[in-house]
Amino acid sequence: MPEKPVVRRVTIAGHPFDLRRSDVVRALRGVDPEPITRHFVVVGSRRFPPKQVIGQVTGLDRADFTSHQARRTLMRLGFSAGRRSYTPSSPQPRAAEQHDRLADRLREFTGEWVAIKDDDVLHASDSPQALVGWLARHGQKADSVFRVPEDDLAASGLAPL
Amino acid sequence: MRFRFREIPDPRTATIRARPIVDLVVEGLEIAPQACLIDSGATAVRLGAHVAELCGIDTTDAAETRLAVGGALVSARMAEVSLRIASDEAAHEWNAPVWFCEPWMPAFGLLGLTGFFDHFEVTIAGYDGWVDLKPLDR
Repeated sequence: MPEKPVVRRVTIAGHPFDLRRSDVVRALRGVDPEPITRHFVVVGSRRFPPKQVIGQVTGLDRADFTSHQARRTLMRLGFSAGRRSYTPSSPQPRAAEQHDRLADRLREFTGEWVAIKDDDVLHASDSPQALVGWLARHGQKADSVFRVPEDDLAASGLAPL
Repeated sequence: MRFRFREIPDPRTATIRARPIVDLVVEGLEIAPQACLIDSGATAVRLGAHVAELCGIDTTDAAETRLAVGGALVSARMAEVSLRIASDEAAHEWNAPVWFCEPWMPAFGLLGLTGFFDHFEVTIAGYDGWVDLKPLDR
């Protein structure tokens, strides 16, 4: 028997909403994630600021609710949430520790172009043009841009002549 | 300037591999430094043609050369461009010929002999996983 989708009745900024997990996923399709300052939720393998997600789904002004409210609502719908492990104001972890975690996280972006900043994947795109366009639109500066290798050929130099 | 090897996921296994990769700012495109593999087997600096497009480098009038990159024949056009590498402590900027190639299969740019190894004294410590770049004053 198919599982009944979970509907959560939530009140945000005084407005009641009936939200389904599938509604959130659908609403975020084709939407570029904005830069993450501290908290994020994972929707469709991508990290979004919680306020962006709730703003997109409900149409509410983001000034009307807090990041905490948004995150709690999305977690109740079953989305995983997290916090950036490094922000410019916090002590920077050793490079090896950063990259251990980053290399594992890069696996989900195999074949995509990624922009890396500190310990985070700032954004991923199908093309380098789309990636740099996103950086420019959001006033972001990456530390590094590359495609996560999908095979040995992409991962190696193979000595061009 | 010392850089730790970059760790990337191995595409075939669940392991991680470390490579001598540094980030190269091409023609002042500071928002998107290009990850490049230090490759002593490459005769010159090779980047994807998309990098020229992103940096606004017009290569249409440059002569086309056919090169073998990663076992495939590609079309390459050369332009003299400014390049910059920076660590936490220092930075070095220089001008070099770069061949912009299409199609481009590697995940990273390639830093080869002309344009890179002739501008730095390069020390690679594979066991310890770091690369040291000392700019040559010429």
